[in-house]
Amino acid sequence: MTQTTPHMLRAMASGAKIIRYRGVIKRYGDFQALSGVDLDVHAGEVVCLIGPSGSGKSTLLRCTNGLETLDGGDIEFEGAMLPREERLLRAVRTRMGMVFQSFELFPHLTALENVAEGPRTVLRKDAAEATRRATAMLAKVGLADKAANYPSGLSGGQQQRVAIARALAMEPDVMLFDEPTSALDPETIGEVLSVMKTLADEGMTMVVVTHEMTFARRVGDWVAVFDAGRIVEQGSPAQIFDAPLTERTRDFLSHLGWTG
Amino acid sequence: MSFDWSVVWQHREALLAATGMTIALTVATMAIALPCGLIVAALRLYGWAPVRAAATAYVELFRNLPLILVVYWAFYVLPISTGLGLSPLATGLAALALNVTAYNAETFRAGINSLRRGQTEAAMALGMSRTQALRRVLVPQALRRVLPVLASTWVSLFKDTSLVSVIAVSELAYVSMQIRSQSYRVLEMLTAMAAIYWLLGYPQAKLVDWIQRRFAVTE
Repeated sequence: MTQTTPHMLRAMASGAKIIRYRGVIKRYGDFQALSGVDLDVHAGEVVCLIGPSGSGKSTLLRCTNGLETLDGGDIEFEGAMLPREERLLRAVRTRMGMVFQSFELFPHLTALENVAEGPRTVLRKDAAEATRRATAMLAKVGLADKAANYPSGLSGGQQQRVAIARALAMEPDVMLFDEPTSALDPETIGEVLSVMKTLADEGMTMVVVTHEMTFARRVGDWVAVFDAGRIVEQGSPAQIFDAPLTERTRDFLSHLGWTG
Repeated sequence: MSFDWSVVWQHREALLAATGMTIALTVATMAIALPCGLIVAALRLYGWAPVRAAATAYVELFRNLPLILVVYWAFYVLPISTGLGLSPLATGLAALALNVTAYNAETFRAGINSLRRGQTEAAMALGMSRTQALRRVLVPQALRRVLPVLASTWVSLFKDTSLVSVIAVSELAYVSMQIRSQSYRVLEMLTAMAAIYWLLGYPQAKLVDWIQRRFAVTE
């Protein structure tokens, strides 16, 4: 009677639920970007959100740290509802790192200053501590020698690694990645994915919106397939990529030329 | 027709002092209008709705009134309506500052709006407040972008200070006109005045050209 499902295995293997999305709804005018999304992210997991453009994956990610406000449902982070009040929301944001598709480094600051900015301004660390953290984080993403460079003097891949270091310098509990390699030249995608893989191996909880199916397959612990504002299927990478249950997932993967 | 240029030399001390006043007026006006312009821009961008409306009304009023009218208005109406007895200098400074603040506010607002939304989001995602995002991320970038516009405003302001001569502020235009009416040396005094404005203005204009080349946005 009781069959072991991937959901049950996941619940047994992973840590506590760190993010819970319940019936999340988001509208932009007449456009329904999210129409009731349920998803759990457990501590230490890499959850990949995949699906066609405009299917709502990025919107869900942006709702997670309150860059977008919800029109329905709710999001729980570390056991508490995501606050709506700006001051409380800011405290939550310090515990979530975010990496953007277009990097969004601060162009008037050097790589080191970019990474030190959060600890300095938001966490109010003294200059020495902020610099120490920033130096360590730049070294972690392999860019210790680029500390004095301005973003304009870095390649796309290097800029994105600095952006990851900037988010890590806040010592977040979870990292949110919004298509981190979509704006990159093919030859620099690898260096960014490898930094992300290292983070995953270290046990960082990560929510990753991505079109990199190989990454989702190899590094992801859980994959959610989005279509038209809903999750049409979620499961282990093995299930999603090797034995998808829904027609929509099969369609999407075959459009990408995914062959397993 | 005979010229007597000695009148210029005769009044060199008065002219020098008046030139100093023109420069001081320009500097003082900008010193007020830069921070105030930034504040008005921030209120217009992020203020509570009624505050935003008030800031917009202020900008649109002073940007679209002739400066000379504002100068007269400040001189005649301000003391009557507020009971404030300001000196001509303070009145002139207030009129200039009101006008230039409105221009600077628009300049700053355009500069901040020209930045990608992602910059604000990146700052917010780090946990920054609106004020921190403005101070640490947006304003430093916007300032670089609008520096050429601010420099042009500066050059216009330098010449526009002559308008406060109508309320007897002893700056260059007023003093030259005074000397003219006492000595009847119209052509000499107007020429001297033109020469002084031009000699001081031309290097400033060149500096603006250089700033515009130096800080051209490359992205």
